[in-house]
Amino acid sequence: MLFETNGMDENISLFISDIFGRENKDILSPKEGFLRGNMFASEYKPYKNLTYLPLKAKSEREEMLYEIMALDFAINDLNLYLDLHPDNKEVFAMFKGYVEEHKKQVKEYSKIYGPLTLNKTVGSKFNWIDSPWPWDNLGGSMYV
Amino acid sequence: MFKYVKHTNFPVNIRKKDLRMAKYLVTQFGGSNGELAAALRYFSQKFNMPDDYGKALLNDIATEELGHCEMIATMVHQLTKDATKKEMEEAGLGSHYAEHGKGVYPTDANGVPFTVTYFAVTGDVLADISEDMAAEQKARAVYENLIDLTEDEDVLRVLLFLRQREVVHFNRFKELYEYYQKKGY
Repeated sequence: MLFETNGMDENISLFISDIFGRENKDILSPKEGFLRGNMFASEYKPYKNLTYLPLKAKSEREEMLYEIMALDFAINDLNLYLDLHPDNKEVFAMFKGYVEEHKKQVKEYSKIYGPLTLNKTVGSKFNWIDSPWPWDNLGGSMYV
Repeated sequence: MFKYVKHTNFPVNIRKKDLRMAKYLVTQFGGSNGELAAALRYFSQKFNMPDDYGKALLNDIATEELGHCEMIATMVHQLTKDATKKEMEEAGLGSHYAEHGKGVYPTDANGVPFTVTYFAVTGDVLADISEDMAAEQKARAVYENLIDLTEDEDVLRVLLFLRQREVVHFNRFKELYEYYQKKGY
């Protein structure tokens, strides 16, 4: 069962219309997409004249974390697109690239600042419990 | 299954206490158009999706919305955590304090607790997904009302991000809806 076809319509691209007539150049960088909350330039719809407010990292740690969060965001938004367009090879290649980069950066970050997921809690101390947790804000520093 | 990642979807760091805004904002956690209703709606509907497109999309958006619940609750917590009892009372949060202290509880802006009757699961693919599309539009509209009600950049930054996610989700649901319609559901 595991390796059977997923039962998808082979001509699915004829069925799920890309309502934006999207081209791949339409896809923003993780950082640009993250700030806007949208990886797709043609879908981006700001409210009135309010686009987005910049994020300023206040430490090396925050800078690293923002990079990870931006990659996480890119992966998530491409994920939703690929759910409906799994045969788009270019977007899938982009997705895989971000997954690799995310993995690398999470490994680096966890080594220095502690785990972001439980399974990275492998040092000499059980530091999974260490504050700050995502809902804390300590001294104006953006959590974690 | 679910596993926790120890960061929010987008940075939330509200430095200024603002009980008035907290009272309004909480509706996007526990109100009829809020993130908890969205997460539970898609989570529950996914079991009846007829193919892999619907299963994947509803599953993945439900998961993202759960992260958005955490972001809204985080904002409410950060806006209220330094408040005194007197300040809570003056901001119309005296009854909240009586029931919940300074805890974060899923209610709408009037303090009405969350209820699952805010969403439907009909067993009908087109009915469910058109509700999902409407839900995204309603959440976008409420985010715009909330954006109009604040000038705090720390709050605004997050609201603009979350509002944009509603735009994206609506588009994905619309694509899925049109596909199922063509398939003859």
